[in-house]
This record gives sequence, C-alpha cells and structure tokens, in this order.
Amino acid sequence: MKVKLLATIIFLLFLVIHSNAQIAVIANKSVPVDTISKVELLDFYIGDIKEWNDNRPVVLVDFSTATDTKSNFYKFIGRRSSRIKSIWIKKMLSGEGDPPIFLENTDEMIRKIAKTPGAIGYADLKEINKTVKVLLVIK
Amino acid sequence: MRIQNVFKQFGILLILSFLFAKTSPAQDSNQIKIFGYFQNTLQAWSKYTHAPAHSTFNTQQLNIFFQKDLNRSWTAFINIEFLNNFSSQKHWGSLNLEEVWVRYHYDYNFNLKLGLLTPVFNNLNEIKNKTPVLPYIIRPLSYETSFNEFIPVEVLTPTQAYAQAYGFIRLNSLKLDYAFYVGNSPNINDKQGNGQTGTDTTFAFLYGGRVGMRFNRLKMGVSGSYDKDDLFQGEALVNMPDNVNFRQIPKTRIGADLSYDYDDFSFEGELINVDMEKNSSLSADLNFYYATLGYHIADGLFSYATYWFLEEDLTLNVPVAYEKEYEEISVYSFGLSQRLLDELVLKVQFARVESDQTVNIFNENLVFKNHDNFNIFALAVSVIF
Repeated sequence: MKVKLLATIIFLLFLVIHSNAQIAVIANKSVPVDTISKVELLDFYIGDIKEWNDNRPVVLVDFSTATDTKSNFYKFIGRRSSRIKSIWIKKMLSGEGDPPIFLENTDEMIRKIAKTPGAIGYADLKEINKTVKVLLVIK
Repeated sequence: MRIQNVFKQFGILLILSFLFAKTSPAQDSNQIKIFGYFQNTLQAWSKYTHAPAHSTFNTQQLNIFFQKDLNRSWTAFINIEFLNNFSSQKHWGSLNLEEVWVRYHYDYNFNLKLGLLTPVFNNLNEIKNKTPVLPYIIRPLSYETSFNEFIPVEVLTPTQAYAQAYGFIRLNSLKLDYAFYVGNSPNINDKQGNGQTGTDTTFAFLYGGRVGMRFNRLKMGVSGSYDKDDLFQGEALVNMPDNVNFRQIPKTRIGADLSYDYDDFSFEGELINVDMEKNSSLSADLNFYYATLGYHIADGLFSYATYWFLEEDLTLNVPVAYEKEYEEISVYSFGLSQRLLDELVLKVQFARVESDQTVNIFNENLVFKNHDNFNIFALAVSVIF
C-alpha cells in the first residue's frame, strides 16, 4: 500500500515538474537584440520577417521530430506545427524563403545556433549553456 | 568498346553527382537550387453531355524550379510547368514558362519582382498551382488550370504580370498587405494579321493589385485588375459591319477574399466579378465565388467541405445577331488530405457538378437549353522533390 502511494506521489511530482518545464528561446550571440516578443517570434517562424534589425538574415532552427518542447513552443506562438510547415512549403515553392534547418535533438540545436550567425531556435531551459544567448523564457 | 562504356558511365555519374551536389534547397546562397513538385491523379467522371463515363490516370502537374540567391537582396527564380501528361509527340497537355523573375528584397515593407510572374489576386491566385500546399485535387473553378478548355480561368484571374511591388506594413499584431503589378493584356496584337505573338502588347497593359490585412488568424483583402481582351474576337460574324469588332474589350476584375482559423477549424472564401463591355454590342459578366470549411482531424490530416459557384452571362447585340447566353455551374465537394511526410501528401476528393446553360438567339427565335449533373471522384499523390 505504502509503495503504491509512494509511486503515485513520485509520478505526480514527475508530472508537475514535467508540465512546468521551461522553454528558452535562444539565439546566436551575434544577434543584435537581447529580448524578443511573442509577435516577433511568430513573424520569424512564419517567415514574414527574414532579417534582424541590423539587416543580417535570420536563420531558423527547429526540431525535426515531435517533442513536448516543440509542441509547447508552437502552443506559445499560437500555431500548429503542421500549419507552420504548410506556410514554409508555400514560401519555398513560391521562391519566397528557405524552410528552417531541422535538427534531431537539443545538443545539435545548441551547437548549430552557437556557431551560426543570425541563428535562432528554442530548447529546454535546463539544457541551455553559455554558448548561446537566451532571448525569452516561456513558462 | 568497353572503354567507351566506362567513359559513358563515368560521364553520367559525373553529371549526376554534379546535379545532386547542387540540388539541396538548404540555406546556402551561393548555389543554384533545383527542386519542384508533381501531382499524379486518378479521376473517375460519370457521364455528362459531352463525354461518356470515364476514368483516367493523369500526371496533372509537374513543376520544376531553379532558384539562385544572387546576394542577400536579389533572387532569381524560374518555374517550368508541365500539365496533363504533357507529350509533344502525342499533342497532350502543355508546357509553360510560368515564372521567370528576379526579386529585389529591401525588407518586409518592400519587395520588387521583375519578369514573368504570377500576380497576387485574392487568396489563391499565387499558389493555385502549388498542389502540395492545397488540400484540393480539383481546385475551385477559377483556379483549375487543367479545366482551361471549358472554364475561362484566364478571364477570371490575372495569370501573368511582369513587374510587382509588394510587402506589408506592421502595426503590432496587425499587418497591412499590399501588392501592385503591371503586365500585358492577353491576346492583343497591334496588327490583326500577325497572329498571337504574346509580346506585342505595348498599348494594352494589365494593371492590378490587392490590399489586405492580417490580424491574428484573420486574413482578408480586396483585389482588382484592369486590362483589355481579344477573347471574343472569334465571335466576328459573317456580314458583320466593318465598324463592329470585338477587339480590345476593356475588362475589369474585382475580388474579395477572407480566411480565418479557429482552433481546429478553418474557413476560406473568395468572390470574383469580371465585367467586359464593348458599347452596347457585347457585354460579358462573370461571377465566381467559393467557400471552404475545413477541419484538422489530426496533425497533417485535414478534411474539408466546399461549395463553388460560377455564373457567365453573355449578350451579343450586333446588326446581324442578337443573342444571350447564360450558364451557371455549381460544385459541391468534400475531401481529405493527409501529409504523410513533409514532402508527400495523399488526397481524396469527391465533387458533384451541376450545370445549366441557356442560349437565346432572338433574331432567329431559337432557344437551346442544356442541363448536366455529374460526379467526379479523384485520388492524388502530391510530391515535393
């Protein structure tokens, strides 16, 4: 009985921690801003805005597979990832822009953003290191 | 002989490796990007007046793109389109240069495209042929280029322009879109005996544009265009007086579009009115609208129901003929599209088509009426490569 209760408590604790996982919007250290709003983030991810305010190109990085981090990020910007995908395909086939760079995991995401000028992406806050700049924390 | 074969194979490998090395649509501005898409369909049509029931496989569309980012501001783009099982040997389908432009991108406020381009008109005109982004197999009638033979697609929407300025102005979450373009009027020659050249149109330009707004998930706008058309030149009748002809008839298009997403539902609709008039001798009035209600069943799986209506009203009143022709086509359709991969979409669609046509030839007291009902069932696979 006690073991069951303990297991339930651990499970609930896991759920609480998991649901409170924070996402950091991260960028290459060269980008000319220190914060970003939800509206600006959406503009980048739907390809409406393609440059930072110093005119350098925005390089979008995204996860290739469905994860909680990805789904929470898209929930925050208010669009389904499939909808964003359609927008990018439309832009690509109209010669209006290149789709984001898709990567498998957080390590790759952080490494890519750290070494690519103008790059922006997102990852679980706990896994962020000092090689990238945090522009926004999504709670 | 063997050495020749080895050289041949080596040559082919060299060419292939060169092509594949340069075909990635990744974010590299120095390389030419070669990519495209195609849509293969299987369509089953029930019997109607002009054809028995038939089923057919069809490579409805193949588009090949070449894109090169010349630098951060300038991009060159070419779009070559093959329609309906194109075969020059069998005289099937068509091969078209759809887009050949260079774009100057200043920022989101201002872009300028120069060269052959598909202009912005309402919601779908620019992407009407981008089959992987549309859930439809048979598109709303004003955009169904493979029905070109019996739907006046090029009258309903402007298909080509040669210079377009476009962009948007951002006011917090509100975006004000604009696009203005100029191009050639269709089928115009300054010398009647020359036949269609496609280029000799300098005195009859197309002017058009769209202004619209986007706010959160709402997008709406109004479009318009003006040009001159020789569409009815073929109506020239025997014994028609010399001072009556149907050349360069002014044509005005007005359009409106609205789309809105709410949760898993989406709505999209358009109105188009085309008016052509030449004194009191000829007038043509076309009206088209469609409305589509969609529902995202799951990520990548989209269902929709749609209604399309097209009405054509033509009056010809010259000394040798006085006739009125009226036709309306209604289409009820529903379908599903499933994005299996980013590059691969499966589609299924059913459409019920109802058409009525009445021709009154008053000077001969003749009336012709025709009514058709038929169904189309279609399956398709749309692939980006």
